[in-house]
Amino acid sequence: MENKHYYKRINGRKLNRFQEHSIVSYSWGVSFILSIAMLIFSYDIVTRQIESFIASLAFVFLGTGIIQFLISLRVKNEILKFNEIKGSTRKLGYLLLIMGATGNIFSIIAGFTLIRKDRTIEYTISIYSIMTTIAIMVISSLNIFKEYVANNFFIGIIILGLLSLYYIFMMYMVTKHINGKRVDKKLIPLTVPLLGSILIGNFFAFVLGLIIISKYRHKDDEISIEWISVLRRLFRNYMSVIGMFFVVLLISLSICSNMTFDYSLAIDNNYSSLLQTPSLEYPFGTDNYGRCVFTRIVFGARISLVVGIIATMVPIVIGGILGALAGYYGKRTDNTIMRILDILYAVPGILLAIAIIAAFGASTMNLILALSIGAVPMYARTVRATVMSIANQEFVEAARACGARNFTIIFKHIIPNSLAPVIVRATLGIGGVVLSTSSLSYLGLGVEPHIPEWGNILKIGSGYLETKPYLAIFPGLAIILIVLAFNYFGDGLRDALDPKLK
Amino acid sequence: MDRGVGATFEKMYKHLIYRVLLIVFGILSLPIVLIKYFKDKMENQQEVIKKSIVSRLEKEGVKANITETAREQAKRKQEFFNRNLSSAEFEKQVNIIINKQFEERVSNELILYQQKGEVSAVTICSSFSKLLENRLFFIYSLIFSFPMYILIALYKNPYAKYISERLFMMIFVIFGVTWLVFTILYLSPMNPAVNILGQTATPEQVEQFNAVYGLDKPYIVQLLNTFKSLFTFDLGKSYVGNEDVFTAIMRKFPVTLQVTFASLFIAIIIAIPAGIVSAIKQYSSFDYTFMLFALLGLSIPNFWLGLILILNFSIRLQWLPATFMVGNWKTLIMPSIVLGTGLAASVARMTRSSMLEVKNMDYVFTARAKGLSEWKVITRHILANAMIPIITVIGLQFGGMLGGSAVTEKVFNINGVGSFIVDKQFVPDIPIVLAGVVYVAVIISLANLLVDLIYAFLDPRIKSKMKSY
Repeated sequence: MENKHYYKRINGRKLNRFQEHSIVSYSWGVSFILSIAMLIFSYDIVTRQIESFIASLAFVFLGTGIIQFLISLRVKNEILKFNEIKGSTRKLGYLLLIMGATGNIFSIIAGFTLIRKDRTIEYTISIYSIMTTIAIMVISSLNIFKEYVANNFFIGIIILGLLSLYYIFMMYMVTKHINGKRVDKKLIPLTVPLLGSILIGNFFAFVLGLIIISKYRHKDDEISIEWISVLRRLFRNYMSVIGMFFVVLLISLSICSNMTFDYSLAIDNNYSSLLQTPSLEYPFGTDNYGRCVFTRIVFGARISLVVGIIATMVPIVIGGILGALAGYYGKRTDNTIMRILDILYAVPGILLAIAIIAAFGASTMNLILALSIGAVPMYARTVRATVMSIANQEFVEAARACGARNFTIIFKHIIPNSLAPVIVRATLGIGGVVLSTSSLSYLGLGVEPHIPEWGNILKIGSGYLETKPYLAIFPGLAIILIVLAFNYFGDGLRDALDPKLK
Repeated sequence: MDRGVGATFEKMYKHLIYRVLLIVFGILSLPIVLIKYFKDKMENQQEVIKKSIVSRLEKEGVKANITETAREQAKRKQEFFNRNLSSAEFEKQVNIIINKQFEERVSNELILYQQKGEVSAVTICSSFSKLLENRLFFIYSLIFSFPMYILIALYKNPYAKYISERLFMMIFVIFGVTWLVFTILYLSPMNPAVNILGQTATPEQVEQFNAVYGLDKPYIVQLLNTFKSLFTFDLGKSYVGNEDVFTAIMRKFPVTLQVTFASLFIAIIIAIPAGIVSAIKQYSSFDYTFMLFALLGLSIPNFWLGLILILNFSIRLQWLPATFMVGNWKTLIMPSIVLGTGLAASVARMTRSSMLEVKNMDYVFTARAKGLSEWKVITRHILANAMIPIITVIGLQFGGMLGGSAVTEKVFNINGVGSFIVDKQFVPDIPIVLAGVVYVAVIISLANLLVDLIYAFLDPRIKSKMKSY
């Protein structure tokens, strides 16, 4: 009995050392869950019929899931027996990559993880940047089936294709020319397009460029760079990386969609194609004005992200300053500021937003304003608590003894050291703002009705719940996906920034 | 009893706000205390003794001693800071030091006398205590300034004091909320008169409408009127339909409360056991699965979940009715599940994380070593100590649900406060929006107070801190 427990723990520890095992397990788990979900969806309870298309998809997932399960068993056996993974098993990673064509991202990541034995952070990040670009290409190329495409469609696709080739090339270069902390000088000119990738929202490529440059400029081998080790901890947590991947994908997609998607399909009425069922031309069907719901959802990502990010940044700045002042000066200042914020805290955010929008009318600007004001006390409290714990530490006293002014102490010493909890809160907060935005839009109080915003799309869809439920289901799934992505990202960020885990 | 009242009176007298309150509430009996105070002071031996102490100390050369050291001290100080003071100023500084030190010395001696019981200091408080022993005065003051005694009784009980101070603060918060919402609605460019009477309304009609509802008065007058109506619980009449706002809200509120409590019940029943199992079996497949569901629950928009439930259970399967009806428990199921999802998710996550923090503490180890059953260790030692953050989350979410349920109420067509406000805000029907927001704010503040009180019953450390409050 006791021996069993002991061996179980020893084996668990062995398996934990190999990330390959856990990610391959994730990939078959996801395949099975998806296939079960699809089987359930394919069966119509009322008419007692099976929809053959979805059912066949379910069997494809089931098949890939079985193969992935067998691979994972093999990996597990080899780890337990030889404490390493053989080269022949690593070759199976290519098979996993091919199975990623089903859309199972875990399978792709598992494939890339299995192929290489020693994976550096640069290798991992370059994989994600490649995946982001290719995913955008795939999503954009669904437009081919439409009657016409945007003017810049082909240029956009070509640029994306060239970029993904370049990223693959960079993946090869970083594995070849980065040796631990030493960076070959040849790589430096190549980082310029990487840094430029931020223009299309590919943050993975941007971060990769930053890592290369800072590793090159960082001469001391003994000291590791702080933010790179945070990144390394972040990338160890697969769920949070997937969350981050979706966030980056949506940001990048909403920028790239300017070239590859036609905005007129999302806003112009087209009476020849009212309320069509999903097809290759209209993947998510069309709404009551004949607008392509798929295009609308793609453009809706932009407005959700913009509102989410601005309505989080504004309260962080206001609440952060108020909280820092309250926490640093204490006593009367603290009391005054916090009592005033108590007033805001006593009203639920969404109710305050309704009141503000009632007063000033429904528009995007008012929505951002309304959501920002409601969130100020939360951030102020977070910052205040952190500042209070930092303000008594030795380095602050040292700064004061050196004669630094209060202003300098707050902005140079205290705020940079109290950012971590706020960043985590903000990441989780963006998801909340996206939810509130769509709820308010659903009530008719958010973004103007003609703008493709997820809540607006859902509002239209909810009118056809009985006959065409997919009109309401797809935008809802989009909202869930982005909020879930931000939540996982925030959770991972909290673990990565947690000083206890260092 | 009399002694206790006197001591509490003395304690309260030290705080400025309470002193003012005591004087205001006890204005009818305090003049007698004042007379007694002056009488006592005349009879008191303290001044005489003080004089004798002063003369004795001077005779013993204590004063000369102090003078010498003080002079030395001032001189050193002057040298150290390199400042040349004129002799007059120098003398002034020295005198300040001498007086201070000598006073201290005298009062020390005086305290010695007081401890021996030969003499006592006369203050308002001591005369009040002495007067209380007089039956006649006690009965007189009890009749004429009973609010003062209520105040003292409240102050004496720490819980009562805490609650009443919080309630007092709440009044300010409520007025703050009223001011905030009123100002927002006042600044609004929308014109309720035109919205209600229609675009074709003549200027005279609009003017008359504004006059009836007091909208033509300046900002400050309107604000004061609003405050006044808040005090008298007469919140006015709504613009549309001319119904009494207070009764309208009182009619809608039980519905919202019913849905909220039902979802709270469902959420807690699911979330806390799930959180406990997840924490005890950390990194098991149950843990992973349930935390995935919890995060999913946090990410699902309420109204979407409501729509999906209606689609499946009302339209397709026809098991449950899609709209809410008062008194029909079947209609309560779907709204409370929808509202409960987010709550259950956050409570389960909080239960898990706070239990994980306590799980590996030394005292849990001790409890196991004592041979307690696993069930007892989990419930009595781990869960009980992890309860505070869980209660906090429940309290916060309870408030959020009252306000945030507007969307769910719209989906299921529930006639609650949330959907009431949303319906009326298009006008904007200022009295209703204002009253609704204030009402929710009151409930939230009360919920927060309740949560803080529950802390005291859960955690003996907070209890003892509150007792010495």
